[in-house]
Amino acid sequence: MLESLVSLESMSLSFMDVSVLERLKWLQQQQYQQVQSSTNASSELLQFQGTNNDELLQSNFSHFQMLGSGFAQNYGMGFGSSHDTMDGCISRTSSCQMDPADTIGVILKNSEENIAISLKNKRKSEIKTREEEKTEKKIKVEAETESNMKGKSNVSNTESSSDTSKQTSKGASEIQKLDYIHVRARRGQATDRHSLAERARREKISKKMKYLQDLVPGCNKVTGRAGMLDEIINYVQCLQRQVEVSNETMIISPLTKFRSLNRDNLLQFLSMKLAVLNPELELALEDLSVKQAYFTNLHVVVASKPSTLVDAPLFPLDQQGSLDLSVINPNQTTSIEAPSPSWETQSKSLYNSSSLGYQY
Amino acid sequence: MERQIISKKKQVFSVEPTKLSPSEVFTRKYTSHLVPALKKLNMDKNSSQINQVTVKHEVDMALALSAQEFAWGRFLLQKLSSADSKSSSSNQTQILERSNDEDGEIEEKMKELQELLPGGKEMNVEEMLSEIGNYIKYLELQTSALKTIVQDTT
Repeated sequence: MLESLVSLESMSLSFMDVSVLERLKWLQQQQYQQVQSSTNASSELLQFQGTNNDELLQSNFSHFQMLGSGFAQNYGMGFGSSHDTMDGCISRTSSCQMDPADTIGVILKNSEENIAISLKNKRKSEIKTREEEKTEKKIKVEAETESNMKGKSNVSNTESSSDTSKQTSKGASEIQKLDYIHVRARRGQATDRHSLAERARREKISKKMKYLQDLVPGCNKVTGRAGMLDEIINYVQCLQRQVEVSNETMIISPLTKFRSLNRDNLLQFLSMKLAVLNPELELALEDLSVKQAYFTNLHVVVASKPSTLVDAPLFPLDQQGSLDLSVINPNQTTSIEAPSPSWETQSKSLYNSSSLGYQY
Repeated sequence: MERQIISKKKQVFSVEPTKLSPSEVFTRKYTSHLVPALKKLNMDKNSSQINQVTVKHEVDMALALSAQEFAWGRFLLQKLSSADSKSSSSNQTQILERSNDEDGEIEEKMKELQELLPGGKEMNVEEMLSEIGNYIKYLELQTSALKTIVQDTT
């Protein structure tokens, strides 16, 4: 929004370069059209502008009088002639016909001060016309610009009135597109198809970057796309390296133990771990120390169990007692060895902390 | 006592749960692919032919088979099943700092990400970003599963 304000200021400055005559002509024409379209307000406007012009003319007249008195008699004739023209102007304006050329001509003869006054008066009327536009047309884009403009000074308001007409045309074209892509065009931005698609694409990409930011730990501190991408690259490389490391350890360590590796036990353990740690897993990489604790507890269990044990039901232990093997499911065909004391204590701590039950 | 225990604990985990989170689904699939493969490797070729390539192949294959719903998974499977001998999965890419322009840097990093992701080179930027998100998550799961396996056997 600030950017649009700044751009407006710069635009207003450039507008100042354009000749005052042309601008005022155009503004007057706008007002004229507006006045013609609306009946109720028109009479008010005319009165308003009529009084304006009268004031202007009177001030001009007084100014000229002052000039005339100040200067030598040479200017008497000119004064007289101008007086005639001014009379003509007054007569025309008093009949409430807006003749832009004449009024502008009168204004041009003034000093800068009067020009400022006239401009201000015009602005007041323009504000009225613009408000009418707002109520009549009610286009979203224009509403936005209106709310922006109310906070600004009067100088920029005149310039923006020329822009609002442009905005209306933009707004119309945008409404057609609003059903499909909800991209709001800001002031000074192009609204052709390509740039809209481009903007939508950019927004999608930024959404995905935000999602990645949540996924990769430590991304919140870094700002900017390049830094975040760096972090993401580092993280992916780190994960891949971890996989390689575990590959290597699998090779280096004696692989005889793979025979005892029991798929179902492993699955059991992993699903239990996931059930406990699921919320953290979903969000970010889990704390490795926590995992280590679980792993060290259970790996003793797995190693001590014979490989023939397939569907061992694991019941939760009481706080004090040990594992009651007589409780085991009668469907179990193989017998279970007596657990070693170390297993008892370790598994007890494990189950107390997790307090899960399995049933097959 | 058995019934008491069961009635006390409301949480019951059946063998085939109906609602599984995607991470659970993946982990189950992954371990069910990898563990038998490793066992087979171990039993068939007794320590002479087991080298890093084959293990890596198995690991990657398990990952690819468990992540078929993603483009990178499918690509990985394709790559593995077609060209077995090539172990060109070294992901160390050199960062070429040609341009100090911000856009240029970002472009370079995007390209690097593309190379990290299997099948990333054929994707456009948007697609790649969403696939990278999945890939990261599943890499994490794979890491935890591998660590479990390693812990169990050492």
